[in-house]
Amino acid sequence: MTAFLFALARVAGVLLAAFAAGWAIARALLPRGAAFRLERAGWAFAVGISLLAAFVPLSAWVGARPGWMQFIVLAGVGLVVSYTFRVSSVELGEDFGQPEPRDRRPATLVLGVLIFLGIALYALRALTEPMWSNDFVAIWGLKGKAIALSGGIPGWMRESPGFAHPEYPLGLPFLYAGIAFLTGGWDDHAMALLFPLLQVATVGVALGWLRRRGVPPAAALLAAAILANFEPLYSAFLTGLAEVPLAFGALLFGTALADALDPAETGALRRLALAAAILAATKNEGLFLAAVACAIGLALGGRRRWRIAAAALPTALLVHLLHRLWRGRLPLRDFDLGLFSLERLRESLATAAAVLGPSGGIGLALALALGLLGARRRDALAPVALAVCAAAAYLLLPAFAVRGPEWMVHTTLARIGAALAPLAAAGIGLGFARRAPLGAAPVHPANP
Amino acid sequence: MSGTTRLRLAAVAAVLLLLLVLLRGVPPLGEIPRRIRSLAAFAPKELAVRRLGGSGTAFDRRYFSFLENARRRLPQGTSVVFLREVPPDETHLFLATYALAPRVVAMGGPEPPLPGSAVAVYGRQPSASERAYAVLPEGFLMLGVPR
Repeated sequence: MTAFLFALARVAGVLLAAFAAGWAIARALLPRGAAFRLERAGWAFAVGISLLAAFVPLSAWVGARPGWMQFIVLAGVGLVVSYTFRVSSVELGEDFGQPEPRDRRPATLVLGVLIFLGIALYALRALTEPMWSNDFVAIWGLKGKAIALSGGIPGWMRESPGFAHPEYPLGLPFLYAGIAFLTGGWDDHAMALLFPLLQVATVGVALGWLRRRGVPPAAALLAAAILANFEPLYSAFLTGLAEVPLAFGALLFGTALADALDPAETGALRRLALAAAILAATKNEGLFLAAVACAIGLALGGRRRWRIAAAALPTALLVHLLHRLWRGRLPLRDFDLGLFSLERLRESLATAAAVLGPSGGIGLALALALGLLGARRRDALAPVALAVCAAAAYLLLPAFAVRGPEWMVHTTLARIGAALAPLAAAGIGLGFARRAPLGAAPVHPANP
Repeated sequence: MSGTTRLRLAAVAAVLLLLLVLLRGVPPLGEIPRRIRSLAAFAPKELAVRRLGGSGTAFDRRYFSFLENARRRLPQGTSVVFLREVPPDETHLFLATYALAPRVVAMGGPEPPLPGSAVAVYGRQPSASERAYAVLPEGFLMLGVPR
């Protein structure tokens, strides 16, 4: 076995163990049943990698070097809690939730092959060489490596070096370090396996959720095929950066928000709270998305509005607060609120249009057309509104950029905008659901 | 607009979007075999060699070799590394910071070097007046000594 394959097998083993723990814990998030299986697999992966990230600071907090024992204890606590608060099974509706006869229509097969090829191609791109992008080397990988090799959180990460953005959340570096602690060494090549798996989880959740919510198989597969082959997000360059995990987290968050609008949905509020924490731990805009979701919940949530708002924001605030307690208040290094002017905003928008280019413009127009052709559903509006608010913020923020709007748009807009694709696809796709009622009817309506 | 027309239009738009995504995502001819060849050639080698042959060091492969050699020769307990005669751009600094993590890396540094720190000089061999701790093919290392 080659050096790389051996390291890859170790990372795969750690991720499999985390997934297994996540699968068991996910009983507190989603009901059992065939209709939920793909989604549950995605949430299980999210829970698993959250455990891998969380056991690092928790170990540091109790003064222990992170290792298998700490991971097992944390997973065990999660298992006990999930067993106590598991989501009740649901009564399946008459037209969903049952295994379907194998669909062998040519279109289904072609779309299935395209999804497979998209995943295989990204896996090859991600795993060709050790993760190498500037932002991996200067920010995400640097912090992960420093934590892993020093056996804790180095003090210098609180404030320096400036280019490593100490004001960014530490979820992804903790995840890298967690994998390194459990595999017994830092291997930034084998660790890239995380990224194709994040892609698989994203595509799986999108497909499973759209099917469960009543979107026809061909439409759900089309959405999944578009996502699986979406190169602006699943590229060699973005491997190692926070955009791919953020896209996954945003999809989980958006789907949970749409579910939470339905009083019959079981576990949706818990999923919303967990996804909010994942988002806030991944990138600073996670807190912004949580605040927007809180507002959406208040606007669209009807009688459940306060419960939705209470699920969407506090966990994100808690993650932010924990960072704040550790490192103090740090300014956003790239921005200065005093710099805003209409001229800079115009410059930002003009540069964004240039960066988008003709093909990007056509793609955006097609996505917009799909959004308009779908049904006007309150629940579909939620993920779309989240994506639109995030996109608006991404267009506005360069007007505050210290190094100028043009520089910021050129260096960041395409990749951070691409991270919204799964969220937007879920919202747009839901517009084509055949079933008006949202989710499953709970056996025990008392479940949140 | 009837429901059927709406759905047909949506199907056309979705297929067009898929085609657009595929057009953008399909790699240039030769990329896949090139990646497979590269993976097969480097997979048996150690991690540092894989990074040396990768995209992240293409801007100055000799520099990464220097950093890796320096890393292997640094005494345990070295907490700070000062880089000298390294091109003063971000790319060189980022790679050094990453390669030498968890140590703190900075350009320049005081003279004589601080106790507990090391100085990595890139691109030349030590002069007669410089006390090298280790001479590397691409430069040399000096250590800060207690005063």
